[in-house]
This record gives sequence, structure tokens and C-alpha cells, in this order.
Amino acid sequence: MNALVQKSTASLDALKRIHPLMPWFASFVLLLPLPLLALNDYQIYLLNVICIMIILATGLNIVKGFCGQVTVGHVALYAIGAYTSGVLSVKFGVPFWFCLPAAIAVTMLAGALVGIPSFRLEGAYLALATLGFAQSVEIYIRVTNYLGSASGLGGIAPPSIGNFVFYDYFRYYYLVMPFMLIAVYASFAILRSATGRAFMAVREDALSAAATGVNVRRYKLIAFMLSAVYAGLAGSLFAHMVPGYVHPNNFTVIEMVTLLLMVVLGGIGNIWGGIIGAILVTIIADLTRDFYFYQLLMFGLVIVGTVLFMPKGIGGIIDRYFVSKRFVAAREKTAEQKRAEAAAAKSGES
Amino acid sequence: MTTLLQVDSLCKSFGGLQAIKNVSLEVEDGEIRGLIGPNGSGKSTLFNLISGVYKCDSGSVRFDGADVTNWEPHDIAAKGVARTFQLLRMFTEMTVLENLMIGQHCHVQYGPFAAVFGIGRVAAEEKRLRDEMMELLSFIGLADFAEVPASEMSIGQRRLLALGRGIAMKPKLLMLDEPAAGLSPVNVDNLMSIMVQLKKRYGLTVIVVEHILKVVMDTCERVTVLDHGEKIAEGSPAHVRDDHAVIEAYLGREMDDEEVRAAMAG
Ligand SMILES: Nc1ncnc2c1ncn2[C@@H]1O[C@H](COP(=O)(O)OP(=O)(O)OP(=O)(O)O)[C@@H](O)[C@H]1O
Ligand SMILES: [Mg+2]
Repeated sequence: MNALVQKSTASLDALKRIHPLMPWFASFVLLLPLPLLALNDYQIYLLNVICIMIILATGLNIVKGFCGQVTVGHVALYAIGAYTSGVLSVKFGVPFWFCLPAAIAVTMLAGALVGIPSFRLEGAYLALATLGFAQSVEIYIRVTNYLGSASGLGGIAPPSIGNFVFYDYFRYYYLVMPFMLIAVYASFAILRSATGRAFMAVREDALSAAATGVNVRRYKLIAFMLSAVYAGLAGSLFAHMVPGYVHPNNFTVIEMVTLLLMVVLGGIGNIWGGIIGAILVTIIADLTRDFYFYQLLMFGLVIVGTVLFMPKGIGGIIDRYFVSKRFVAAREKTAEQKRAEAAAAKSGES
Repeated sequence: MTTLLQVDSLCKSFGGLQAIKNVSLEVEDGEIRGLIGPNGSGKSTLFNLISGVYKCDSGSVRFDGADVTNWEPHDIAAKGVARTFQLLRMFTEMTVLENLMIGQHCHVQYGPFAAVFGIGRVAAEEKRLRDEMMELLSFIGLADFAEVPASEMSIGQRRLLALGRGIAMKPKLLMLDEPAAGLSPVNVDNLMSIMVQLKKRYGLTVIVVEHILKVVMDTCERVTVLDHGEKIAEGSPAHVRDDHAVIEAYLGREMDDEEVRAAMAG
């Protein structure tokens, strides 16, 4: 185990020395043949869903995990992204490459709107406010004929580049996967920068962050808008995927619980959390789809269990491993220095 | 010498309790000022008012040529006021190094967009920041723990870290709220030598609240004494030590002067 970890960190460092973006390019190349390993079309479909869920969960992890804002309105932002893209495509014949940025922009504005209550509300109160928002969006979609109401909105055109149309799951993977990688790269870049530190400071202690010079409101708003950009991207990609059909059932409380489970199980506030969680939960949800009616119960129980017994999720356990190694190393180093000093003092005396 | 901080007839009450009554205070550029007083006399409240954490009822605070009364805390921090908290308030889930790096928040020149698109520039800036903060970590003696979460640190180490975070902000004025509380005697001496070096090394003006009077008496040029939210004395450590109002505030009327002097010298 130790040797494996050492080897992989070493090779990662070697890649980074070539170019800082090299690890990302390497992942891209590694992910390219993945659909060829799939046994059937359904598994390729799952790969696409996993990519979309990674985008969505990574976005949620920014605002919830890193900035510490308890929002349960994320699925509504996902819906807004999907429906903006869908409506533009179906009603106005706008091509995907214009639907996508429009969906992201609209969702980002909606994200700012959801973020404003966070200036005054915290914890459970913020959760309630955002839950109210999510419910209103879902209900609004269900009763609005223009959006296809309860029978859904169909006929959303698949994206294309020139004559190449992403009309099946196999082709769509080569659209979704690069977007997923770019989104994940951006989250790593931002969260490991000064912006990410400011998010964490707001989460840890908003008052202390302010006294350290962080404009708390501004960073809350940035976190909400950033996570909305991810939701808008995921929504648009979902809407244009075959069969080009969105339905209010894709954006219910059940979806929200599933999304929460991804972030919590993967590791809340862990940079890998959204990714680990999205992969695991999508696969588990698929394996247990015969027990659909018990799924919500099961997911809820797993969330409670995770929060109680491993509050930082799977990512946290992995982190813990590295941190304790570093801590032991630091302590040993200090002890050694003390011993050396003591020895020096002794030889000085004699 | 110019006046860096000028507090003018500041008042603050919480419900019926007047925590700060008409306090005026002037701190010169480059001075190390002590602020002492019995428990509940309003020392932390005064810090909170100056740093914008509380809004005052009346009065004004001028800092470095600007009227900063009731500014937002992050604006006051950006103007050059750093403070530590009596209850530390460190970012415990972040590493020791990150706790210092966040102190540099106001001095970081790039935003989230640059982080994604301007890889080279941001990497260079981050490296500069990291190196600078590692140097500061060695100054406060925590360099070995750079990559360890602050939650793993002892209270004494966290006090040092809080001090480090204040220095990292590159402020003009650093306000320390009981920096020696919970430190071992050896570390108290360390802290005092760090405080004296602060002025030389970073050109800082310091206001320090401390119950361990030795710290204040040995490092400060002037001392201000609060009691029940009012300023009751101000002057050199020797002057304050002999002031009757101060002795009464601290120890009541019963003790005789000799005992009091011994206690305060200790
Ligand atoms: N947020 C608050 N709400 C209500 N009362 C407060 C608040 N903050 C401080 N006080 C009160 O104001 C008075 C002054 O408190 P403060 O914390 O400034 O004292 P202090 O001099 O720092 O004391 P100590 O030496 O114990 O730290 C106390 O009576 C305290 O109870
Ligand atoms: Mg206090």
C-alpha cells in the first residue's frame, strides 16, 4: 500500500514537471477508451450519467463542502440549466453551442438569487429557504404548459460539431467526458487558490475570516454562483443527451438526496469528494434499481451513517492517512532536534 | 511621531450594560501599547469596536488618516488593522500553512478566473506566498507543522499561530488579545521576545491585552488601564503600577500597597 502510494505520487510529480496541465491530459487519454470496455449501450449511458453527476456534485461541494453553506436547492439550479437549454432548443431552434452558455448564464443568475439569503441565514434556516426555492421551481415546472408541465419537454436536439452529431450514448461520451474534465480541473484550480482558501475560512469561522480581510458576503456569493455554473453545465448536458427529453421527475427531492449522498459519502469539503461520491452512488443506485421504492430510505440511512461514523466521507479517510503520516513526521523531526540540542548542550558542558 | 490610531469618546452598550464608556485613546506609530484591566472591564470589546466586529453607539475611530468608524471588518483589515481573538478562532480544518496564507488574503492579486486560466502567473504568486509564509512559520517556530491541520495543534501552538496569522496580514497595527494565555512560562518568554522583534522586523505598532502583567510591564512603552468600561489611567508601566485607581481596580481596597506592588511585578 505504502509503495503504491509513493509510486503514484512520484509519477504524478513527474507529469507535473513536464507541464502543470500534464496530469489532466493524461487522464483525458486514459478516459478515452473507456466506452470500448463497456459491455452494452446501457453501461455507456451510465458513464455519461456519471460524468454529468461528477459535474453536479463537484459544484455542490464548492458551495456546501468548501464554503460551508447548507443549501438543498442545488437540484433546482440543475433543473433551471436543463430547462433553459431545452426551451431554447425546442421552442427557438437554438443550436446546442448557444444553448449551453445561455443555460450557464441563467443558472448563474439564479444561483446568485439563492445565495442572497445566505447573507443572513445559516445552517438549518438556510437549508429551509433553499428547500423552499427548490420546491417552487419543481412545482412551477409541473404546472407550466410551456415547459411541458407534468408530461415533460421532448425533442431537444442533440449537439453537433459540423456534420458530426452526438446522437447516441457512445458519441455523447466524447462530449460529456471532456466537459467533465475541464470542470473538475477548474474546481481544483480554484479551490487550491486564494479563492478556495477564502471559501474555507468562511466555512470555518466567518467572523475570523472577516477580521482577516475576507469579504464574507462576496465569497458566499461567488461560491453560490460558481456552483450554479456547474449545475447549469450539467443541466444543459443532461437535456441534450439522447433522447433529448427532460421531465420534472428528474429534479425532485429524491434527486437532491441522491446528490447530497454523493457529496457526503465522497467527502464533504474534500477536493475529490464530488468525484468519488458521484461514481460510487451512481453505480450503487443502478445496482439497486430493482428496489426503487426503498432507495430513498437506504440513501437516507447511508447519509446518517456517514455523518455519524465518518463525517468526512471516503475522501476524508484517504486524507487522514496522509495527514497522520505528516504529523508523525513533523513530531519526530521536532523530537530529533530537541535530542540533538540536548546532546550539543551536554557536549558543551563537559 | 505621528498618531496611527485615534479613538475618540467611544461608547458601546449591550442592552442595559455599558461595556465601553467614553473611551478615548491615541496610539503612536511604532508604539507597543499595553491595555490592561480586570475581567469584564471592556478590553476585548474595545478591540471588537476598533476592528469593526461590533458597531459602536457613538464616538469615532480614526486610523492612518481615515475615519474608519463602523466600517466592515474586512475593510478595516484591508486598511491595515490585524487582531487576534481571545478565543483564538483559528481555521482548524485548514493546515497551519494555510492559516497563515489566508492572512495574506488582502495582498493576493488574482481572483478565481486567473486561477483557472492564468496558470503560470498564479503558480508563481502562490510559490512566493508559500515561501514567505514558510519563513514566517520558522520565525514563530512552527515550520515543521506546516502541512498539519491546525486542529492538531496544542493551545500554546495555536496562540503562536494566531500571532502568525496577524503578522501575515502585513498590518500597520496588530492587536493581540491575551497572547500569553495558556502558554508555558518558557513560551511566554519566547512570545515576549517575538513581540519586541515585531517592531524591528516588521515595523508594527502593537496593542496588547494581557493578564500576565509581566508581559505588559516588560514590553510596553505605555499602558492604558480600563475598569468597568472606563479609562482610569494611562502612562508608563512604572507610573501605572503606582497609580492608586489602578491598584484599587485590580485588587480592591483591602490589600496594602506593598503586596499589590509585589503582585503586579510578579
Ligand atoms: N456580545 C456581547 N453581548 C453582551 N454582552 C457582552 C458582549 N460582549 C461583551 N459583553 C459584556 O461586556 C463587558 C466587557 O466584556 P469584555 O469581553 O470586553 O471584557 P474583557 O475586559 O475583555 O474581559 P476579560 O479579561 O475577561 O477578557 C462584560 O461585562 C461582557 O459580559
Ligand atoms: Mg477579553
